Amino acid sequence: MDKETEIIVKDFTSVLDELTFNSRPIITTLTKIAEENISCAQYFVDALESRIEKCMPSQKLYAFYALDSICKNAGSPYTIYFSRNLFSLYRKTYLLVDNVTRTKLINMFKTWMTPNETTGGSLPLFERGALERIEQFLIKASALHQKNFQSMLPTPTVPLLLREIDKLAGLTNERLRDQPNDQKLQTKLMVLSQLKQELQRGKLSLDALKQVQLQLTEVFAQDQQVLQERVRYQQFQQEQQLKQRERSTTTSSLEPTETPMPLGTNNSPSPLFNGSVSSLFGNVSRIVTPEDFAEMEKASKLTSIQTLFHSLNGAGLIFTPPKESIVTLFDKIDSTNKLNSKKAKNNNLPSISFLQDVVSNCKAYFATANVNILNTPTLQLSQQNIVNDNPVVTKSLIHLLYRNKPNKCSTCGKRFGNSIEERKLQTAHLDWHFRINKRIKGSSTTNAQTNAMTSQKNIQSRNWYLHDSQWVKFNDDEIVSTQNTFNENPKQTIADVDQQKYASGSNGSSTATNIQMSNFEDMLSLNKNDANNSTSETADLSKKYVIVPESTEDMTFQCPVCKDSVTSVYDEELGEWIWKNTVIINGKKFHSTCYYETIKNNSSL
Amino acid sequence: MSLLPGLTDSNQATDLFVDANEVHKLVLKEETEWKVEIPSSSKLTITIRSGIAEIFGTELANDVEYTFSNWKISLSAVENVILEWKCPDIPNKDLMIEPNTTSKYVYNLHFGLEKMRNSSFNGPRILVVGNANSGKTTLCRTLCSYAIKFKSYQPLFINLNPHEGIFSPPGCLTATPISDILDVQSQTWGQSMTSGATELHSKQPIVKNFGLENISENRSLYWDNMNQLSNAVNERLQNDVIVQRSGCILNTPSLSDLDEEFNELVTIIDRFKVNIVVVLAEQDEFTLFEKVKETLRPYIGDFLIRLPKLSGRFEADDAYKRSLQRTAIKEYFYGTPKTILSPYASGADFEEITVWKPINMVEAQGTTSTSNPLQLLPVTVDASTLQHALVAISYADRKSSSSEVQKASILGFGLITEVNEKKRKIRILLPVPGRLPNKAMILTSYRYLE
Repeated sequence: MDKETEIIVKDFTSVLDELTFNSRPIITTLTKIAEENISCAQYFVDALESRIEKCMPSQKLYAFYALDSICKNAGSPYTIYFSRNLFSLYRKTYLLVDNVTRTKLINMFKTWMTPNETTGGSLPLFERGALERIEQFLIKASALHQKNFQSMLPTPTVPLLLREIDKLAGLTNERLRDQPNDQKLQTKLMVLSQLKQELQRGKLSLDALKQVQLQLTEVFAQDQQVLQERVRYQQFQQEQQLKQRERSTTTSSLEPTETPMPLGTNNSPSPLFNGSVSSLFGNVSRIVTPEDFAEMEKASKLTSIQTLFHSLNGAGLIFTPPKESIVTLFDKIDSTNKLNSKKAKNNNLPSISFLQDVVSNCKAYFATANVNILNTPTLQLSQQNIVNDNPVVTKSLIHLLYRNKPNKCSTCGKRFGNSIEERKLQTAHLDWHFRINKRIKGSSTTNAQTNAMTSQKNIQSRNWYLHDSQWVKFNDDEIVSTQNTFNENPKQTIADVDQQKYASGSNGSSTATNIQMSNFEDMLSLNKNDANNSTSETADLSKKYVIVPESTEDMTFQCPVCKDSVTSVYDEELGEWIWKNTVIINGKKFHSTCYYETIKNNSSL
Repeated sequence: MSLLPGLTDSNQATDLFVDANEVHKLVLKEETEWKVEIPSSSKLTITIRSGIAEIFGTELANDVEYTFSNWKISLSAVENVILEWKCPDIPNKDLMIEPNTTSKYVYNLHFGLEKMRNSSFNGPRILVVGNANSGKTTLCRTLCSYAIKFKSYQPLFINLNPHEGIFSPPGCLTATPISDILDVQSQTWGQSMTSGATELHSKQPIVKNFGLENISENRSLYWDNMNQLSNAVNERLQNDVIVQRSGCILNTPSLSDLDEEFNELVTIIDRFKVNIVVVLAEQDEFTLFEKVKETLRPYIGDFLIRLPKLSGRFEADDAYKRSLQRTAIKEYFYGTPKTILSPYASGADFEEITVWKPINMVEAQGTTSTSNPLQLLPVTVDASTLQHALVAISYADRKSSSSEVQKASILGFGLITEVNEKKRKIRILLPVPGRLPNKAMILTSYRYLE
């Protein structure tokens, strides 16, 4: 540390030592020094940290205020340095101080969670990790606090209780002013006055008094929460209206909501110095509950949804914009989303990305409603039209490639529309995925356990390329058709290896035939010419086999000629399940020997 | 107050060690693209969490993990996209995220083609030309992907660049109707019917084996292959109403591989009845464009369009091209990581096989006086020529003549893994189980070693 630095740091430390009460001038001075001497940041941080660590519990809060002010005004690198020990400092302090101070600490913490101007307006003041740990700590601490709350209450006396009742009555009256028709509130007031009379008679035991006290505190807390929420809601509405006004002047297009904008962004750090707490959370010395944090988060989410809605509104995409139509949208989604119906609807807003999807799909639908590719002259291919910006393409046609078909296959990303026909296609498509995956899985498991007679077969049947003459007649519907399950499809085209007769380019008929079949027919004609060779014939015939189709449920069949049943066997060499000595004629399975016999007999007749 | 239980400092939160499997979150703004070069032998997984993202025109499903390896990809954000990615070998900083400057042209072009499909039974036949690394394949792939998105068209993709294996090993000229979504993870655009059951609908290509690496090594053979292909394509188009209406998208070899007069482009236009030509060229290549335009105007009139080189393209050096070719061969035999195939190893005696090879005019210069460049030369079966070689198996019978073999269709490919000169036996990998078909084989210039 050079001399100059030493002097500055000493200066800072001495000012800091004077911070024994909540003094705005001292804190301002400290902040100024910190701002002007960024190079000494590390030393200031050390000094402040040790001050917080070592000073009397009652003064720790003020040191924290100094920290808060420096970070909010000077920003980085202080925020980064303080983030390191922030959690342990905060925790230690919190555990040492009284409840009033704790509330102040919590309120200070809340301001840290809101995005700050010094960090560019999008991030919380300190590193997220540190803040999250503090938040966790506070949630646990407040849960615990409520347990201890009972024991910490002062011994109830009649005058004390009377005073509490008066306070409660005051609160209830306040609420009644807002909702003059609320029956419950009126009953409550009546009960309170009765209770008051009862107490004044002074005939209750200490136990009874204690019970009354507990119940009162509870009711009191509830009432306060209701009031707080109302205040928050009003603020929130004001903010929204303000935003709406801003939006409506600038007809902005759909703006992405990257980061949820938490509540109260325009909260300046200064209210800390009022000695009291920011009015946002009421000036109550009640410990914050976990729900408070949940509330904050919920509110921030709501804000970003609202922003989205308003930007859409600005773009004129919502045709009848009643004031709270996004809420109606929630309700609709909620009612279709049966999952959420059990819980209160406000606690279960769909995710923002889901909502964005819904809204973008609607937008795409409207954008493409009235376009006609044929009647758009700017689509005529020409150098000009291709290279120039074409609003018809960028504003509406482009959606034809994407959200105009809003249902995206969750497996492959292929899109489907909303018409009945498209829905059917999608169902068939999903079926196909299911079957093919089963098939792929099936083939890999049976590789391991080949002989077990399971329904899963090794179906890794690969093919050669088609012969040119087959390819020119091939139709890809055979592949992509989901109507008829493949392999039940009797016309599945497989490369016919024996097609060399077409090799010289003659285009004979190339009806899809499978290898075994064509061989068989060759043999049949051959045998007719040469009927003497019957023993070798039979041997050859019995070698005929049929590969069990994937779709087959029943692995056995009955030969219609001899009525014997034929069971499939696994052929190691082929890697397939086959029926031996079998042919398929017109979709019927026969013993090839039986079939041949019959054919021969018929022809000889 | 005593210490609150459960509040003791746990060290978990501070242990933010950097893990190779760390999942990074990335937000892409609309109309930007993330260009990634995945280091060889590494793999990148991407999961789209929200928004619409596509790679070369193929949209990715959300919340599905995609794996990419040995490839350079441009992930383009159609809408704002939030994604998660994981790759131990890519540092999470200085990611190449750039505005997608050319997507609007591609959209304009696509909808222009869409209009033509709407108005005629005879769909557009578009030829994409340009220098090396101008984004020809990227443009073709994107146009094919877009064409099938709104209506169930089946555009015919015709690959005339033997350097690239698309639905086939390299060294081929192919035509493939794109009848369903492409495999976004695949350099070869997806699996063909030769792969059996695949996760997506496979495609049915027609394959002509050129077999040599560069067109210059035997121009006559290349043009003969192209002729054969065009005959088949024209016949298919007559038979297939959907493909006919959807039109053709043709990818060409780099302009530098073609003749300087562009007569060869004229031949392609004539053979495939091309009616639109897209030239990928920058402003400063204007003379090139003008020259192409002058030559082709009599054949296609004003349907000649210049686009700047695509922003999503990559510089592909020789090493990268070779690694893509390797992948194409590997996929043909062994499938993809998601659909693993086990090729069938078959044995054969030297006497049982007949191997031919095309004439390499560059090597043969001056040494042999071959009257017919299409003629195939017999290959002596030995280890030095056949070990690790990729061979095309033709439909022609083993005893067929050289010209019959040259004209024959292609049954598929085999990979000779072992040549045992002592036992006079070879081992060959085949995609289809069974014995080695009794067919003539053609040696290609490609080798593949595990």
